[in-house]
Amino acid sequence: MDIRSTQAAQAYGQATRSALSPPTREAPQDQAQGAFADAVRSFTETVQRGESTAHAALSTGADPHALVTALAQTELAVETAVTVRNKVVEAYQEILRMPV
Amino acid sequence: MTEFSNALSIAASGMRVQSSRLRHVSENIANADTPGYRRKLTGFQPDRSRDGADGVVTTGPIRLDQRALPRIHDPSHPLADAQGYYLGSNVDLVVEIADAREAQRSYEANLRVFDQIRQMSSSLNDLLRR
Repeated sequence: MDIRSTQAAQAYGQATRSALSPPTREAPQDQAQGAFADAVRSFTETVQRGESTAHAALSTGADPHALVTALAQTELAVETAVTVRNKVVEAYQEILRMPV
Repeated sequence: MTEFSNALSIAASGMRVQSSRLRHVSENIANADTPGYRRKLTGFQPDRSRDGADGVVTTGPIRLDQRALPRIHDPSHPLADAQGYYLGSNVDLVVEIADAREAQRSYEANLRVFDQIRQMSSSLNDLLRR
């Protein structure tokens, strides 16, 4: 029991140190941020392309196949984004509910 | 995700090409009785212009069927020569109908592929949602 509590205290101390000290290696974090930014950018581009294609198809009678493709791609992108967002919110709430 | 997106564009290009082919078939059928009309043939070729999805198909240049035009005997026709013959069109309606049916079948195949891609990707999203 005593050993366990000592270990827990040590682990807590290490965790506090690593949380308080600035991250020594910033490369993985930057990569993650870059990947996320890329994903968001490609999502925005897809949605914008869908919007402009729909606008062109309805106003100038552009190719309906392009409209269908753009709308399907936009639908997929929005669906994926909503699913990922739900997962993130779910994980956040799970952490909030965690007894400290 | 990008593979699904590429597959969607490829299937859509197939549908676009088949509808363009149907357009030329309808032109041939409409001009079946036009004197001197040669039937148009739609060529297909891989699209190398765009840098995105590889394997996109597009229509090539239109070729004219070089088969001999039939000589039709009708002395009362304004285009008839001294012997009473004029050149008709070389459109064969049976061939055109078969061509139109083939275009329809290919279009349906591309449509099914399109639908399949959408179902596959939404199944993937369902897996993520669980």
